[in-house]
Amino acid sequence: MGGANSMKYFHNCHPVVMFSYLIGVIFITMFTMNPIFIGISFLCSISFTFMLFGAKETVKSLLLAMPMIIIIALTNPLFVHKGETVLFFLNNNPMTLEAMIYGLFAALMLVSVFYWFKCYNRLMTSDKFIYLFGQVIPKLALMLSMMLNFVPKFIKQFKAVDESQKAMGIYSGSSYTDKIKCKFRVLSSLITWSLENSIETADSMKARGYGLKGRTSYSVFPWKTSDKLLMSYFGVMIIIVTVGLFTGYADFDYYPKITRMSFEIIPILLYFGGFILMFTSTIMEIKENMLWHYLKSKI
Amino acid sequence: MTYVKRKKLIFSVLMYFVAIPLTILLGVVLFNDRQYSIISIIIAGLACLPFFIRFEKSNASSREIIVIATMTALAVVGRIVFMALPGFKPVTAIVIITAIAFGKDAGFLTGSMSALVSNIYYGQGPWTPFQMLAWGFIGFLAGMIFYKKEKPNMILLIVVGIIGGVIFSLMMDVWTVLALDGAFTMSRYLIAISTSTPFMVLYSASNAAFLALFTKPILEKLNRIKVKYKVFTA
Amino acid sequence: MALLEIKNLTFKYNGGKDNALEKVNLTVNEGEFVVICGESGCGKSTLLKMLKKQLAPAGEKTGEILYDGVEVDGLQERVSVAEIGYVMQNPDNQIVTDKVWHELAFGLESMGEKTDVIRRKVAEVSGFFGINSWYRKKTSELSGGQKQLVNLASIMVMNPRLLILDEPTSQLDPIGAMEFISTLQKINIELGMTVILVEHRLEDVFPIADKVVVMDKSNILMTDTPTNIGANLRKISTHKMNLAMPTAVRIFGQLDCDCACPITIKEGKNFLKRNFENKIRSIEVQTETNENKNVALEISEGYFRYERETPDVLNNLSLKVYENEFMCILGGNGSGKTTTLKILSGLKKLYKGKLRIWGKKIKEYKGTELYKNNISFLPQNPQTLFVRSTVIEDLMEVVEILKFDKEESQKLIDEISEKLEISHLHNQHPYDLSGGEQQKVAFAKILLTRPKIILLDEPTKGMDAYSKKSLAEIIYKLKSEGMTICMVTHDIEFAGEFADRCCMFFDGQIVSSAPPIEFFSTNTYYTTSAMRISRGFFDNSITTSMVVRLCKSNNRKSN
Repeated sequence: MGGANSMKYFHNCHPVVMFSYLIGVIFITMFTMNPIFIGISFLCSISFTFMLFGAKETVKSLLLAMPMIIIIALTNPLFVHKGETVLFFLNNNPMTLEAMIYGLFAALMLVSVFYWFKCYNRLMTSDKFIYLFGQVIPKLALMLSMMLNFVPKFIKQFKAVDESQKAMGIYSGSSYTDKIKCKFRVLSSLITWSLENSIETADSMKARGYGLKGRTSYSVFPWKTSDKLLMSYFGVMIIIVTVGLFTGYADFDYYPKITRMSFEIIPILLYFGGFILMFTSTIMEIKENMLWHYLKSKI
Repeated sequence: MTYVKRKKLIFSVLMYFVAIPLTILLGVVLFNDRQYSIISIIIAGLACLPFFIRFEKSNASSREIIVIATMTALAVVGRIVFMALPGFKPVTAIVIITAIAFGKDAGFLTGSMSALVSNIYYGQGPWTPFQMLAWGFIGFLAGMIFYKKEKPNMILLIVVGIIGGVIFSLMMDVWTVLALDGAFTMSRYLIAISTSTPFMVLYSASNAAFLALFTKPILEKLNRIKVKYKVFTA
Repeated sequence: MALLEIKNLTFKYNGGKDNALEKVNLTVNEGEFVVICGESGCGKSTLLKMLKKQLAPAGEKTGEILYDGVEVDGLQERVSVAEIGYVMQNPDNQIVTDKVWHELAFGLESMGEKTDVIRRKVAEVSGFFGINSWYRKKTSELSGGQKQLVNLASIMVMNPRLLILDEPTSQLDPIGAMEFISTLQKINIELGMTVILVEHRLEDVFPIADKVVVMDKSNILMTDTPTNIGANLRKISTHKMNLAMPTAVRIFGQLDCDCACPITIKEGKNFLKRNFENKIRSIEVQTETNENKNVALEISEGYFRYERETPDVLNNLSLKVYENEFMCILGGNGSGKTTTLKILSGLKKLYKGKLRIWGKKIKEYKGTELYKNNISFLPQNPQTLFVRSTVIEDLMEVVEILKFDKEESQKLIDEISEKLEISHLHNQHPYDLSGGEQQKVAFAKILLTRPKIILLDEPTKGMDAYSKKSLAEIIYKLKSEGMTICMVTHDIEFAGEFADRCCMFFDGQIVSSAPPIEFFSTNTYYTTSAMRISRGFFDNSITTSMVVRLCKSNNRKSN
């Protein structure tokens, strides 16, 4: 993943900045049901996904998401019978337009959250995650680091045991239960192996002073000036948008009747603020790409 | 774990019976009943917190830490290597067995960290805190019931395994409903349950099978480590 | 004052019958490079562990271990952690975290150092050990040699005064091992670091040691300079440790010349030239032909790759293993040796080319036919064969699964256990056994399938000289019973001494194949130490005993 990430702006910025931004954006997206906000979040999440994953991957995932959105929109009236505009009756239950529209935006909101998380998963590599954890709960973060060391090691050993057992002729049957039995045998061997060997790891920790008072956490993520600037910008924007949402200017009701959109100055400013915040990530990546092209052309 | 104290138990009980309802109340007031999905995520995260804080404050030895890390990694690896066999995930069973051997706190940690770590491989999402809580809670429960039982009652154990599968599935369904509706609607919840029932059944059955077959041998291994290396002996 | 002083140290493990250490006395001065050698189980590791408070085993201890004049048990925790560095045998098990940089910082984090201090020290150490380019890598992606280097660096970053290493190269391939040892030499020479090293690979470490300690059954047999050790061991020529010595020392040990004991290849060459004539230059060789023998295994023009996009690992490979021969496949890392064994044992399939076993295509073997009474594969790590909690259960399991007759299988288990001398281990947990014992049990397990062909993957890895000899004896026993043995190894000395035929693997195919004498006497670089010592002087003496034999049949020079 390193190769694909190395030219991304967000990959190189401080984990705290990246984490706060993505979690902030996800929070805002989940917090409101305002269709304009959801629309903004949806478009921005897709454009950011496009910047990080490229066109092919984005289109492919959209093709998967679209039917889901439609299904949720169409089926929502089955569960919710609120709303004034009755389209038709099904088993004596009213199917309403409001419920359908609500379903559409609920689905869009969910999909936007998924897209933001898709970006999050790409950007938040394990070492960044451990760093973030380490700031709050250092012991657990260290444990996380150990687990991430163990997992590939154990998979390798699992394969080795699997092969050794195969070459003993132990996979005699080919039925489903036989297969499961054999895999469990391998797992059981792996459990013994990992537990017995882990003690040496514990000794190695102890030998290097684990358990002494006043342990610190080292990190390879320094705060650059650009990180600090970006962080303050994100911080201010997230707070403004959140407070704005709390004040109720962007409140929106679907039931019993869909609220009419108000285009007063404050809501429009709020939408604009939300857009600026959510689109910043895409802009940063575009800027980074242009910079690269420029540098390349100079060579 | 060595640091189980009555006072701390009270703390976690307080956390569950005071802090969480308080969050819900606060959520309802502050968020004006808007988005239960956010509140629920925060609650799930908060519910894990007392265990994590307790672990931070404990002076668990390097050996104890390693053993928990190992069991967690095993649970994750189990999930990965059994991918070819759908529905067969030994995670819950490994969490339960760890809890039997090392107690409810170790059980909770193993469970919740298994969720967190396996999502590093499968992708994090808003469901992460739910999975952490669900698996953690199963570990906690198993530790409460079975800790220090030399020979846990097999039938009870299998029941716990099945309940574990059901709890996990039901909790994840709650999340689905909250995410879609923003609030809890019974009709959708029932639909969600009915669509996930086949998985739930398979999952519970595999838990039961795994526990029935493997509790004894794995417990033997863990007890051997316990004696040989003097971990979790207090 | 000496940095480390051990006085009359006696130690018994809790619940142990005999003393693990008895009246051990040793002095190590600042800046010395001390090598400790001895048979497995002689108490070397126990001695090392006792030097570091955090690792000291539980038991009864008498006598003193003074570090810088202070008893080690009474040392301040922080002093013991930072100043006494300890590197263990298994490179994998010592690594705690998932990233190289985190591993390097681990010790300093424990000591509570600030971020900028850690950054500076880690940078310095990475530079010294050449870790810069993989500083941000995942630890799980490193090779064994790199892992062990990270382990060493993560200790050195704490600025120790005493560096202790317990068989650090035993799990590494020869090149990784040599690099590691030259790094140790660099640390010793350029930094003046005091080093205590336990090692089986004496060939490489004797030349750089200031002092060698030979241990024998919980005692120190002798402590001296490498040259004097050679001379003194000659006086007790029946002692087991003679087997473990570097080739030059062993040659010297079997001849009685009154000169300093040679240590290196160069000194060995000079020793021969100065002391012997070479009128008789070669050993007579009886050439055996394989022409009339049955072919047990045959790969013809085989190709293999692990994944579609990756390059070929086996590339037009043709290979024959004849009935009842002991064949060794040699070659560098990643040349495809282990892959070949996996092909031969049916674990992996060629995408082009044919594999025949006893003349029959592998596809025609159905179910367990291939593994029952036919082929057995002993993997590199014997632990991958253990699934139960006692040795006997593990052995029983095989016969149960292959559905052998009950009475007969009991007899078989007894017979094989006796042959491998593991009967007394039956009720133990496989993981409580030593490395050598584990391998014997694993060997027993695969013998239970009553194979005709045995495939061995680097069985001598991490073994001391004596265990190697007993492995060779087992192989000979099996051969005399008619078995065919094919072994993949890095161990040139072992192949030279015991194999019927050696094959050189390179770039996915076999580039040469011949009986050992022919094979090694025509190689210049890839050959045994004995051959390198005697090259140009004798023609085809590839083992110590051959060199000695030729020396004895020639006249002594009178100087």
